[in-house]
Amino acid sequence: MIELRDVGLRVGNRLLLDNVRAQIASGEFVAVLGANGAGKTTLLRAIAGLHAISSGAILLDGVSNTQLGSLERARRVALVTGEEVVLDALSVRGVVSIGRFPHHRWWQWRTQTTDEVAVGRALGAVRIEDFADRFFATLSAGERQRVWIALGLAQETPILLLDEPTSHLDIRIAHEILTLLRSLSQTGKSVVCALHDINEAAAYADRIALLGEGRLLAIAPPETLLSGSLIERTYGITMDRIRLDGGRLRVFVREPSE
Amino acid sequence: MAKHAAVALLLISLVLLAGALALLVGGTPLAPAQIAEALAHPHATGTSNVIIWELRLPRVCVAATVGASLALCGAMLQGMLRNPLVDPYLTGVSAAAAAAIAIAIALGASAAATPGIGFVAGLAAALLVAALARRGGGIDPNRLILAGVSLSTLFAAIVTLVVVRMQSSNYASTIVAWLAGSMAGRGWHELAVVAPYALVGGLLAIWAIPPLDALRIGELRARAVGVNVDRAQWVILAASSLLAASSVVLAGLVGFIGLIVPHLARRLVGSDARSLLPACVAIGAALCVLADAVCRRIVAPAELPIGVLLAFIGVPAFLYLYLRPPAHAN
Repeated sequence: MIELRDVGLRVGNRLLLDNVRAQIASGEFVAVLGANGAGKTTLLRAIAGLHAISSGAILLDGVSNTQLGSLERARRVALVTGEEVVLDALSVRGVVSIGRFPHHRWWQWRTQTTDEVAVGRALGAVRIEDFADRFFATLSAGERQRVWIALGLAQETPILLLDEPTSHLDIRIAHEILTLLRSLSQTGKSVVCALHDINEAAAYADRIALLGEGRLLAIAPPETLLSGSLIERTYGITMDRIRLDGGRLRVFVREPSE
Repeated sequence: MAKHAAVALLLISLVLLAGALALLVGGTPLAPAQIAEALAHPHATGTSNVIIWELRLPRVCVAATVGASLALCGAMLQGMLRNPLVDPYLTGVSAAAAAAIAIAIALGASAAATPGIGFVAGLAAALLVAALARRGGGIDPNRLILAGVSLSTLFAAIVTLVVVRMQSSNYASTIVAWLAGSMAGRGWHELAVVAPYALVGGLLAIWAIPPLDALRIGELRARAVGVNVDRAQWVILAASSLLAASSVVLAGLVGFIGLIVPHLARRLVGSDARSLLPACVAIGAALCVLADAVCRRIVAPAELPIGVLLAFIGVPAFLYLYLRPPAHAN
């Protein structure tokens, strides 16, 4: 359970988000949408305790994340980012194993059976067992993205935050990852995922949080959000809507008339 | 697991072999049997006992401490800053120690006082660099590198100035000899003075192993998996400064070990800090002991400065390691 109480976020001297108020329950999959620079990444980092909030409070299962020690926090919340990093001579399994860090005391260096099981499960969940022993540096961008997701899964936290996890992925893998995230939320995890693709968000998420104008504009089920004009206002474009056979709504950027 | 045990055995053998070879080198020829006899009976009297216990063994231990300290320090700083070109002297420890010692020698300070002066100045410089590199509760890697390099340049200029001003005296040659690195005349006394600091540095390094491991995936992700990066940075910086200052006091400026050995060790055991740091200690110790033995032998009865020898070996080794394609490209 994540609770945002009047959260304000600054980047340098600039107020990025103000008065963000929301609750995300266990077992819920929330997609965060917003234009570039709206604060999606910063909000996720703040929930993970990696960006200081300027006002309000962020509660993880009822406890303010600033009151949690770094290890305790990393046992409650995992953050998956796609940020590039140069990794020499480190295997995929080696990378994912680092996700077990918060489950060890500082003197516990040896890999435990529980670690091996968790790492194996994480590798399997994103279907990268086959190249677990390859060097990370030899992987494609999409494969790397799956490794970062596996790293977050290896932490085995009740809250999983992902910053654009489907960027670099082809549509099949993207579908598999979002399906996986959905199934993870159904096992009781809170999953919060920043996305760019509105229809991806609508297809998989229980609710969509829309950031814009320096605040949380709305947090609502996809149907509600996509049918209103808020989404167009946020991105500053006109959209066409179609209804799929199952009755679900999808939006598309209106093509310029001939 | 079997591979780890084999590598550990190989490294331990390497250190013992280097030590044994170094004990054979000296002005007075001693047969291996005499050396073994002297080692087995530390309290016996006799020339070979004095040579082994008062001259060669302390020298081997000093060289091993210097090599191990520098290699460990280099591995930690490279890991923390995620920069393979960083060496133990980055934090300004050596340059400040050199400047302080040069000034002390020029002012006529006694030879006994100079190591202490160098140690204090080295640690003070590390603190200054750390203060300049501070960002929030932690350290900004780029600022650390910039502050370290800038202050080192300033201290190097001070050394040059002192040497130029003192050119007519023999102080200048004392300073230059110190800058070239040497373990001549170092023994149990110096080792005993430095050992506690090096030991604290080593213990802090052990604490830093898990965070160093996690830092391989970048600072942000390391924070996300629960590493207290700020604390880890301070501990690593403290450990590195203590180790670098200890080695500077024992041997002056010994280049390349802190830069090259972590690369060699990485090729051998990978980048997992649990294997990397012990491997650096072993390879650094063995390399420094061997290099010191060669320095004593090559132009006997004079001694070649170890810094000069290591640069001659270190530069080709460095180029080879860097120009060779990495393991994952094969």
